Amino acid sequence: MSRRPYQLHEILEKRVLTDSTFVLRFERKELEFKAGQHISVGPPNGIHTREYSVYSAVNDNAIEILVKEVMGGLVSPALNHLKEGDMVVVQDPVGYFSLPVNHTPTSKYLFIASGTGISPFHCFVKTIPNLNYQLVHGVKYVGEAYEKHHYDKKRLTVCTSREGKGDFYGRVTTYLQTQNIDKETHCYVCGNCDMIHDVYDILEEKGVPSAQIHAEVYF
Amino acid sequence: MNYHLVVLGCQMNQSDSERVKRVVEEMGLVETLNEDDADLIGIIACSVRQKAIDKVYTKIQKWNSLKNKKPLITFATGCILPDDKLKFLKQFDLVFDIGEVLSLPKLIAQYGVSSPLVNALGMAKKLSFPSKSDISLDAIMVDSDVMIRSDIKPTASFLSPLKRKTISFENQQWEVKPKYNSGFEAYVPIQNGCDKFCTFCAVPYTRGREVSRPSTEILDEINHLVASGYKSITLLGQNVNSYGKDSQGSELSFADLLSAVGEIIEKARADVWVYFTSPHPRDMTREVIEVISRYSCLAKQIHLPLQSGDNKVLIRMNRKHNMDRYREIVGWIRELLPTATLFTDIIVGFTGESDEQFDRTRLAMNEFKYNMAYIATYSPRPGAASFQWADDVDHAVKKERLAVLTTDLVVSASEYTSQMMHQTIKILVRNDDRKQGYLTGHTEGKIVVRFACDDKALIGQFVQIKVTSTTPFSVEGNLV
Repeated sequence: MSRRPYQLHEILEKRVLTDSTFVLRFERKELEFKAGQHISVGPPNGIHTREYSVYSAVNDNAIEILVKEVMGGLVSPALNHLKEGDMVVVQDPVGYFSLPVNHTPTSKYLFIASGTGISPFHCFVKTIPNLNYQLVHGVKYVGEAYEKHHYDKKRLTVCTSREGKGDFYGRVTTYLQTQNIDKETHCYVCGNCDMIHDVYDILEEKGVPSAQIHAEVYF
Repeated sequence: MNYHLVVLGCQMNQSDSERVKRVVEEMGLVETLNEDDADLIGIIACSVRQKAIDKVYTKIQKWNSLKNKKPLITFATGCILPDDKLKFLKQFDLVFDIGEVLSLPKLIAQYGVSSPLVNALGMAKKLSFPSKSDISLDAIMVDSDVMIRSDIKPTASFLSPLKRKTISFENQQWEVKPKYNSGFEAYVPIQNGCDKFCTFCAVPYTRGREVSRPSTEILDEINHLVASGYKSITLLGQNVNSYGKDSQGSELSFADLLSAVGEIIEKARADVWVYFTSPHPRDMTREVIEVISRYSCLAKQIHLPLQSGDNKVLIRMNRKHNMDRYREIVGWIRELLPTATLFTDIIVGFTGESDEQFDRTRLAMNEFKYNMAYIATYSPRPGAASFQWADDVDHAVKKERLAVLTTDLVVSASEYTSQMMHQTIKILVRNDDRKQGYLTGHTEGKIVVRFACDDKALIGQFVQIKVTSTTPFSVEGNLV
């Protein structure tokens, strides 16, 4: 099966999570992807698209993306204007931020995200039942812990940097420094690059081999 | 009528230009090197650097002023970002994706320029398809919505014979037999586009996703080149060793493709060097290196982009490989291809690159002992993700880092070339040297060689040279 050109997909639902963040759910059509991959999405009448990690599960009958509106952006404000029944253009998935090929039910994972960087981890968790993971989500305010009820409470730590209403008051890096990390753990980091760099240093200091640190930079 | 074509950028654009030339010449136009004599002027644009795009704007201003004096049609194609494409539409008569090159005669015909080819296309009847992505075997697509059925007998003889079962609406340029710029060196595109999304690069936004050319077409072209006596063939792609990955098992892997190329050349007992560029470390396999070691025609020269020697910079670049991975690949090369030369690409002064991080790149340079490194100082490129980040390494620091790495490169390159002294080596003679009375060429490892000779009949031939002097990046010798 060869690559498809851009396709139009009808929006089935828009879930508003915060003033600037929303989930767009649209038709699946024949789109196949691996958990952790991203797709290019844009408004139907524009010339620009942006890459978004797929938020929904691989076995979901629709596709979801988690979008934060960037003021002055070329794509996200236009996506925010769309509503149920409108179309988006979608290009086939690509990306390498996948679980390791030697994944087993006992494999241990540490997922570390900032902001909408939680998106691929949502996909992992929804796709693979009984995944042995811990998820650390860094946000400014607890209201940005997007759809936290979708995760096992015991496996999610929300780190809030601007208020003390999360599970940990402070940045993810501060939280990680307090934790013991098993060297066998596969560590996946997704979000802004500065956070990834800081986390990378901490994981290396804690003895996690670089081959077990997987990063996806959001830009 | 005459046409003039300006080609900017990489080998892929050069290869695309060979196909554009073929399409235009089939319309009866003749190439001119003087744009003042041209009735049709085109440009194959490059978006890798802003400078190249600025050149397009400079050119089109001049060409539009020529229109006051005579009729002139202008077109732009190649690597163009969406925003630039919109701007170009205001200034050029025609703007099209290279994958739509077969539409060019029809587009030009709208300006009153007709040709046998356009007439042939006029015979085509419109067909509707169940799917816009694929069409069936018994038809030749000539543009997005027009087909010539095989029973119409098109005069479009420049189209390659069809081998594949379906034709994508993209990458029509692969349907065109190229007008090769050289009679002994050829580029063969095997893949187009990029899935890697390196943050410093805009290619995914200009050329789109990775698409592999059908291997049957590639091997046909290789067969043709070998039969025609070509001496050097370069397989081209943005990520050449991702070949086949977009086809989900229905296409050869890159290693299998290389092996098939090797078989063709060995069977023909032809003397050919086959190169490929550029591979991505993420997709390089030991199997690829093993295949290269098995076939003497697969040149022992590897271009393996490093970009940075620091893992955190590689993360910021979204390179999808780390230093351990890179080191592993170089280990395979040194083990299985002990005579191979190693080339690379490096960017210095990328957003946020600290002195320590640069030092790690320097360590990598010294560790891998490159024969050549194309070192660039970082400059933000509109359309690339890093354009939004601060370009926070001072220009003077970037220049200093470039100078430091260049000095290191001179050392490692010299170690290799100095060992060539007094050796007799095989080279492919490529052209006149700048030095009067000399010809120049390169070894299998792409080390430049010059020698005193004015017999231009040797250009395009393999010869033996005894090395008499060496410099870091080239050697000089006498014809044996």
